[in-house]
Amino acid sequence: MGATLRALRALVLLLGFYLLSLVLLAALVGVDIAAFTWGHGPLVFKLGFVTVLLAIPVVRGMLMLRTPKGDDGPGIDVTEAAEPRLWALVREVAAAAGTRAPDRIRLTGEVNAAVSEDPRLLGLLPGPRRLYLGVPLLIGLTQTQLRSVLGHEYGHFTGGDTRLSALVVRGRVQIGRVIEQFHERADGKVAADRAKQERSAAKRVARGKKAKAVDTSGSGAMYRVMAAIYTLYAKLYLRASLSTARGQEFAADRVAARIAGRDATAATLREIPVLSVSHGFYLDSYATLGLSARLLPPRGEFFGGFGRLLAAREQELERLRTELPEETEDAYDSHPPIAERVRRIEALPADGRAADATGPALALLTDPRRTLAALEDAVLTDEVLRFGRATGWPELLDASMASGLSAARTPLHQALAAYTGRPPTLAALLELVDDGRLWQVADRLPLSPEASAARGRARREFARPVLRRSLRTMVLAEFSARSLLSWEFSWSRPAEVRLPGEPTAPSGDGATDPEAALEAALDAALADRPDTGALRALLPPAPQPA
Amino acid sequence: MTVLLWILGILALPVVIAAVWLTGVFLKELFSPSPPDPDETAVAAEQRGLLPPERQDTEHSAPVPAAWSAALEAARGGDWQPAAALLHANGRDWERRSSIVSLLGTFAAREDGWLTAWQTARPGDPDAAVVRAQGTVHLAWELRGAQRAGSTTREQFDGFHRTLAAAREEIARAAELNPEDPTPYVVEVWVALGLGYPHAEMDKLWAQITTRAPHHFAAHFAALQYWCAKWRGSKRLAAEFAERAAAGAPPGSLLTALPLIAHFEHDDTTDVAVDSTPEMLALVDAGLADAAACAAADPDRPGLAQLRHLLAYYLHLQDRHDAALEQFLLVDGHVDALPWSYRGDPAEYYCRVRNETVGAVAA
Repeated sequence: MGATLRALRALVLLLGFYLLSLVLLAALVGVDIAAFTWGHGPLVFKLGFVTVLLAIPVVRGMLMLRTPKGDDGPGIDVTEAAEPRLWALVREVAAAAGTRAPDRIRLTGEVNAAVSEDPRLLGLLPGPRRLYLGVPLLIGLTQTQLRSVLGHEYGHFTGGDTRLSALVVRGRVQIGRVIEQFHERADGKVAADRAKQERSAAKRVARGKKAKAVDTSGSGAMYRVMAAIYTLYAKLYLRASLSTARGQEFAADRVAARIAGRDATAATLREIPVLSVSHGFYLDSYATLGLSARLLPPRGEFFGGFGRLLAAREQELERLRTELPEETEDAYDSHPPIAERVRRIEALPADGRAADATGPALALLTDPRRTLAALEDAVLTDEVLRFGRATGWPELLDASMASGLSAARTPLHQALAAYTGRPPTLAALLELVDDGRLWQVADRLPLSPEASAARGRARREFARPVLRRSLRTMVLAEFSARSLLSWEFSWSRPAEVRLPGEPTAPSGDGATDPEAALEAALDAALADRPDTGALRALLPPAPQPA
Repeated sequence: MTVLLWILGILALPVVIAAVWLTGVFLKELFSPSPPDPDETAVAAEQRGLLPPERQDTEHSAPVPAAWSAALEAARGGDWQPAAALLHANGRDWERRSSIVSLLGTFAAREDGWLTAWQTARPGDPDAAVVRAQGTVHLAWELRGAQRAGSTTREQFDGFHRTLAAAREEIARAAELNPEDPTPYVVEVWVALGLGYPHAEMDKLWAQITTRAPHHFAAHFAALQYWCAKWRGSKRLAAEFAERAAAGAPPGSLLTALPLIAHFEHDDTTDVAVDSTPEMLALVDAGLADAAACAAADPDRPGLAQLRHLLAYYLHLQDRHDAALEQFLLVDGHVDALPWSYRGDPAEYYCRVRNETVGAVAA
């Protein structure tokens, strides 16, 4: 199907949306006419009122012509003067793909690359182009793989996809909005997040409330019927435009393979899901580790640390690359499953180009460190940027863990507070244990139904793991409060606690192992015949009141 | 015309009344079926001295000897001495030792202060050690609950496995303190079930038991569970194990119950024909002879009641009602036994089958 034909179909489908809306309006008017002709009394007015209510979202949907302008998202624009090598590569790939190079390059903090065009006249005339390039991609991909990614994006332009997509996208957005309106009204409330997005919060909420106030005669159900009609049309629309969308993805992959080589393109397709997963993990477990302690990694490391993580977990990642995610195909996703894309690329004849011999794409930047730092300023919120900076990753870990421990509120803390009616402290708990009242405290733990139904020893066995975890946290917090704990930072393993007296390297000597001693002491304190002596001996002496 | 309607109306009235009444009865039966009339068979059963469901003991399969109850009662009061004396006096009667240990262990799984006191007073007492091991295994099974794996929570499984693992050490200690005693190993079979010992390890454990007590009923009962398809074996493995055990056992050893249990555990049909095959008739006959031999030699032997319960059930299914009733009369009053104990309300189920038997005998 040529570009013109596709444009035509997109136009027809979009017009179909207006036709559907007009037919529905006509039907509503018809109902009113019938009512006024044959009906009488208050019923007529009620019916008229309901039809007007139903017509409002339809009309609004038809009038909302403007496709919402995609926000650029946080990032930094880089000029050709500042990044000559990156621009040279971008221009070279564009030339190879046979299309115009972008007018702007914007570096972002996401694992994504995209080229957008703001077409004029409904996509009939080309407009300015922008390349969005996620820095995590630059960190994780080689230069050849970056060429493949760019080749894929340009492949969309050579197929004329992006210009036409304006129409397709408009249709999708518009139908979606109408359906959403109906659902909102049926629910009698305006979705809070959407209200926030649209800045006209007060107005919308007021309107939503009004709709709810009169929504007494089952018009909620009527809204849902209307939404269902539009949903049906939306499904037809998506099905019709999807085969095209997926075909476009495959075609763009082939362009990428032509420019960067078959093997490099296949490797890139395998790499991107891995980078995406790892980056999510990196953000959760490393970059934002100190947020609760109001601490950030050293300057430039918020994004820069990702490279260290990738290097340290190379083996783990290699396994992820070989097993492709076999996601179930989503009938309405415009991208075909990645496994299918890799299969198609790998089925191409060999082109004799090696998958990789180039360095990391980040090296294309003039001064990667400066760029990473600038990106932090652009992407992080002002509030977060005001946080302190740790001097290094291990320091960040220590500070965050200390803050986490001092703020920890385990189930045992809560049970203890509930039982004693005082702030829960380790000292108070140990006194209760010595007094033989641990199980009275344990009865105030949140228990599963099975545990609550159990009696005697069985109940205690159910409670013991919870008690043990919580007590361990309380003891660690006590150590931490006296600055006796340190944590072992690692890019490849979860952080491990280092207890006071523990040698830096595991010695394998069981007798003096503080970890084993702590475990034994915890067991003794929680035994049926509790003995807190060992635990008390481990704890630092309480500071004497002056 | 009006007159005609009047006549028709009067004629129709009885029909309408009948229809309304029928509909009423139908609806009433549909929504709250009237309880069956006070069952004649239940009355007949009562006349023979058989007990109603609410008076059946669902905790035991046979009456608990007075000395055992006394020891348990003392333990409840915190006094371990009678329990210690009981086990000491029992000596090398391994069958009874297993039963006593199980009885005391069940209570130890709930409260174990008395047992701890016993162990503190006599640290090397093998009797206390084996009760300790049994108590921990019972506790593990209590943590797991009796539901199938799918309805058992992660927390329950964690507690189950953790406690079973702890029990292994206690079992080893008990075995060490009394090397001749098979009881710790019998207890371990339930650990093997829960932790899923490989077959090779189970065979080793089994050898430990059979060298000490070749025809131990409770051991065979537990091991058969291990070999069942729902645990670690299969229908074939269970059937072969049961057949071997029954074939090698002298009369009165009660092991003729095993083939019946193996059949019961893997019978998922509702068809009673499979329970009346010539093979099943022969198995039940062998069981009757076994029970008679046991009753002559040692009428209170643990396991005899379990065999009689099975015999009563299968005799009933085989329409041998007189023989079935004979067994029912011998075991009535204690129903914690197969095939009843898998039901939510074992006493109810037991009494229903028993009363049917009574009715069939009377007819």
